[in-house]
Amino acid sequence: MLRNNKKFLHFIMKNKSIKMKQFLILLVLGLSITGCKNKLQVIDEFGDNKYNLIDQNSKQVVFPDFVKGKVVIMNYIFTNCPDICPINTNNMRLIQERLKKEKITNVELISLSFDPKNDTPDILTKFAMVRNLDLNNWEFLTGNKVVTDAIINNAGVIAVISDSTIFRDGRKIYYYIHTDRISLIDTEGRIRKNYLGSKINIDEIVNDLKTL
Amino acid sequence: MKSNLLFIFFIICKIVNAQSEIVIKEAWARPAAKHANSALYFSIHNNGEIPDTLISANSKSADITEVHETFKRENNQMGMHALKFIAIPSKSVIKLKPGEFHIMLIDLKKDLKLGDFIKATIQFKNSGALKIKAIVKDSGE
Repeated sequence: MLRNNKKFLHFIMKNKSIKMKQFLILLVLGLSITGCKNKLQVIDEFGDNKYNLIDQNSKQVVFPDFVKGKVVIMNYIFTNCPDICPINTNNMRLIQERLKKEKITNVELISLSFDPKNDTPDILTKFAMVRNLDLNNWEFLTGNKVVTDAIINNAGVIAVISDSTIFRDGRKIYYYIHTDRISLIDTEGRIRKNYLGSKINIDEIVNDLKTL
Repeated sequence: MKSNLLFIFFIICKIVNAQSEIVIKEAWARPAAKHANSALYFSIHNNGEIPDTLISANSKSADITEVHETFKRENNQMGMHALKFIAIPSKSVIKLKPGEFHIMLIDLKKDLKLGDFIKATIQFKNSGALKIKAIVKDSGE
């Protein structure tokens, strides 16, 4: 990249007929072409916010502090979802398997529930266990609804209650219309790219991850 | 009289034949914990000349079984709703698959673990009830 920039500057200096204004425009263009290649822009950031959550083991964590210094792959789920969230979660599993295969470490996977009233740590544990998920570098997070809403709002994820099922005993469960998303978050807690969670290209995600 | 009886017999044979033209293949369900929800997927092959309609499903593995469809809105927002039926045109294959049509198994009576099997009955308007056995697995998508 540095060599390209030097070549570019050399070309500019040799062409003395180029005026200063043109020089600056070309300089900016040249630097953007050579310097910003493959750089993922910051889309959203959790910044200095501290979100108090609990994981599947009922352990308290402060997001994003507890994963700072690690790249994070994060999805947004509710466990009563029978179709999209399980597809999305299975895709997280496939990403995790690829990372293991390529021996890429320093990555944490997070599944955040936006339905914390139902998704208790116990429910999240069962959700993971029945799928044989490897929780060594994968946290399922829940907490206060105000907190989980704040995180998904920050991430640009929408989750609104739609249909429901009422059981014979009067119990009621809700289903959400929600954003189908997996986010790539850098070591500073900044969202660098979002993917359609139920239809991912693992090569794309792993390649993006390598640029961070 | 004899020809009338033969005609009725012919019609009955045609109906019975038509009823056997629906075949369900590749049935599978997602893993899920007891009291949680799962989805059942399969492909319906209508090899006959008569259209049919999937009108309901039931399984002893779940408290409630509903026919559902996942839908997509703007900005990659996904949701789902219950359906009253799924039309199965003649000579067609309709796939119930992730992100589209599925049978929702609500409030499971036991854990559905990878490798388990569940039984369900799929009810068609013309072909009646078809029993299926589905393996519990995760898809490779």
